[in-house]
Amino acid sequence: MLKIDNLHVKVDGKEILKGLTLDVPTGEVHAVMGPNGSGKSTLANVLAGRPGYEITAGSVTYQGRDLLALAPEERAREGVFLGFQYPVEIPGVNNVYLLKAAVNAARKHRGLEEVDAFEFLTLVKEKMRLMRMEESMLTRGVNEGFSGGEKKRNEVLQMLVLEPRLTILDETDSGLDIDALKIVANGVNTLRSPERSLVLVTHYQRLLDYIVPDHVHVLVKGRIARSGDKSLALELERRGYDWVTGEAA
Amino acid sequence: MTEPRTSALSKRVLDEYAAVRDTLPAGVVSAERRQEAIQSVAAHGLPSSREENWRYSNLRPLERARFAPAGEPLAAGVSPAPGAAAVAGAAATTRSLPSPSELPAKLERFARYTFVDGVFAPELSSPTQGQAGLTVHSLRRATQGAGGRSVSKTVFQLPRTLPALRHLPEARLALLNEAFATDTAAIHVEDAAGEPVRVEVLFIAIAGAETGTSYPRVQVSLDPGSRLIMVERHIGASGGASFINSSVTVDVGRGAHLTHYRLQQAGARATWLDTLSAVLAADARYGLLTVNIGGLSARSTTHVQMAGPGAELTLSVAALGDRQQVQDNFALVEHIAPRARTEQTFRGITSGRARVGFNGKIVVRKAAAGTDSRQSLRGLLAGPEAEIDVRPQLEIYTDDVRCSHGATAGKLDDDMLFYLLSRGLSPEVAQRLLKWAFLEDVVSKIQLPELRRQIEHDLAGQMADAASLKELL
Repeated sequence: MLKIDNLHVKVDGKEILKGLTLDVPTGEVHAVMGPNGSGKSTLANVLAGRPGYEITAGSVTYQGRDLLALAPEERAREGVFLGFQYPVEIPGVNNVYLLKAAVNAARKHRGLEEVDAFEFLTLVKEKMRLMRMEESMLTRGVNEGFSGGEKKRNEVLQMLVLEPRLTILDETDSGLDIDALKIVANGVNTLRSPERSLVLVTHYQRLLDYIVPDHVHVLVKGRIARSGDKSLALELERRGYDWVTGEAA
Repeated sequence: MTEPRTSALSKRVLDEYAAVRDTLPAGVVSAERRQEAIQSVAAHGLPSSREENWRYSNLRPLERARFAPAGEPLAAGVSPAPGAAAVAGAAATTRSLPSPSELPAKLERFARYTFVDGVFAPELSSPTQGQAGLTVHSLRRATQGAGGRSVSKTVFQLPRTLPALRHLPEARLALLNEAFATDTAAIHVEDAAGEPVRVEVLFIAIAGAETGTSYPRVQVSLDPGSRLIMVERHIGASGGASFINSSVTVDVGRGAHLTHYRLQQAGARATWLDTLSAVLAADARYGLLTVNIGGLSARSTTHVQMAGPGAELTLSVAALGDRQQVQDNFALVEHIAPRARTEQTFRGITSGRARVGFNGKIVVRKAAAGTDSRQSLRGLLAGPEAEIDVRPQLEIYTDDVRCSHGATAGKLDDDMLFYLLSRGLSPEVAQRLLKWAFLEDVVSKIQLPELRRQIEHDLAGQMADAASLKELL
């Protein structure tokens, strides 16, 4: 699904990713963990195509295509979804409008007709119940006045409605209490399938109790310093990042 | 002080006035008042962009303008008869009235009065009978052949706004309108219990600037306790290069409520000048919402006097500039009486090589203790060559006031833009959506769903980035 090979990325002239290599096969869930400043969010943003990141070397292949050659909106229409660490508030653009515009953009890209408004609303409401969101949120501005937890739930709601092939969740667990974390994890788990892949970018092991990864990678100073199965996350939790950063140094 | 160029222009104004003055209808504005107005204009000169409050305006079209009124177009299908188009000495033309189907959809329960090139067009009007307390006249028509005697006296009462207007240096264009006026929509509301009365005045500019100027003119007065919802719309032939100089005076009596929606949608090559002058009595409420979309060079001057204690003003302006447009707005709110409140909101967007300016000035006079004024002025730059100037000004001559202001001018938020792109929206749709959201603070204040839909439709049309660009170049 996703192949990242020797990726080097600069931000404001400073190299953040320094030869990152990562292979996420179809149907798998990979967790990318790492201390602050290791390049986790840079990785997530580069995959989604955020401007301001200079790719100096390496490649990213998504379903056999050069992902980096695609504009952000093309990536989205091809089935790449980024769940933001800090979802932005957009007053005046309502949630349901954005959801519909997003779904229709992807459908148009695939040569399909626009979604039926009534069926669409029924579907969205069903997903909202799963995410324990109030229906009144639909007609509010995107994330407008939402709490931190509500914003993260809204990200997962969008993911559920868009049904991406590749999802990257950037610290979706940060700022969530345990109940919200369970709701978010439950939402994400419903989308797990042999056709989809998921990259969970996180600082803490906690999320991985609820979304159990197939592989865990530790990112240190812009490279994968260590990879393993889910037990690696538990070991990190026990021994702290110093254990890996010490080795990597 | 007057520089040669200005005085040459003043002289031309005087000459043009002298040539047509005998043809101007005395029932609309008396010969004495016209004379006074033209002399005042000549003495002070026309505005120039060297003046502080006019510096963002494009006043070059004034130099080429023909100030004599464009005159009366012919009814559709009527061939020109000798003298038919000769009001105010305008050249005979073959301009004809648009058909009713070309006009904006009529708003339910609104009486509509249509004026073409500043002259009442009964064929395109649909006065609604039975709105208690409402009187609307075309002063030109009401006074024709009757020497003014056929019209009730109230219509001729000089609105209290006018003395104030004469003293405002920004009102010179309104004086020009007064000198050359061809007609007036005179709207008067008597105290009436129950539902507010509803009027739409629709002004259509057809004549090109070479034919003459179009002088829309509205005079509104609300008796104490009365209520009016007024829609004032200005449209132009598409791509029309008209020269329009509009003047509106508003007098809101004690405890009266006026809700006033203004939509400026002049033709794409038109020059648009307008002056609105309003006086609010004690506890009067005035909600003024303006949407400026049209014209190539547009300048809007608003002057509101808070003359009575406890008066309330909500002044909201949305302006869109695209291509080569200049949209300049000057709004002066003068607090004279105590405990009045003003809320001013401006949202402007520029793209292409357009320039949008909003200069919002609030003056609090010595007697105006307890004034509460709030300004929220925001400009959005939606193109690398666009320009926006947002300027709040406060002048306070008393203590015990609460005045707050916020002004920002900036680009589209990159984070918002990326968020929408990351959901698959195209950059064009994403930008349009964000511009739309930016205007929401003004558009959401439109209380009439039908009008709001129409205005949203017009805004969307204006934002649908320049299908008519070629037509301009």
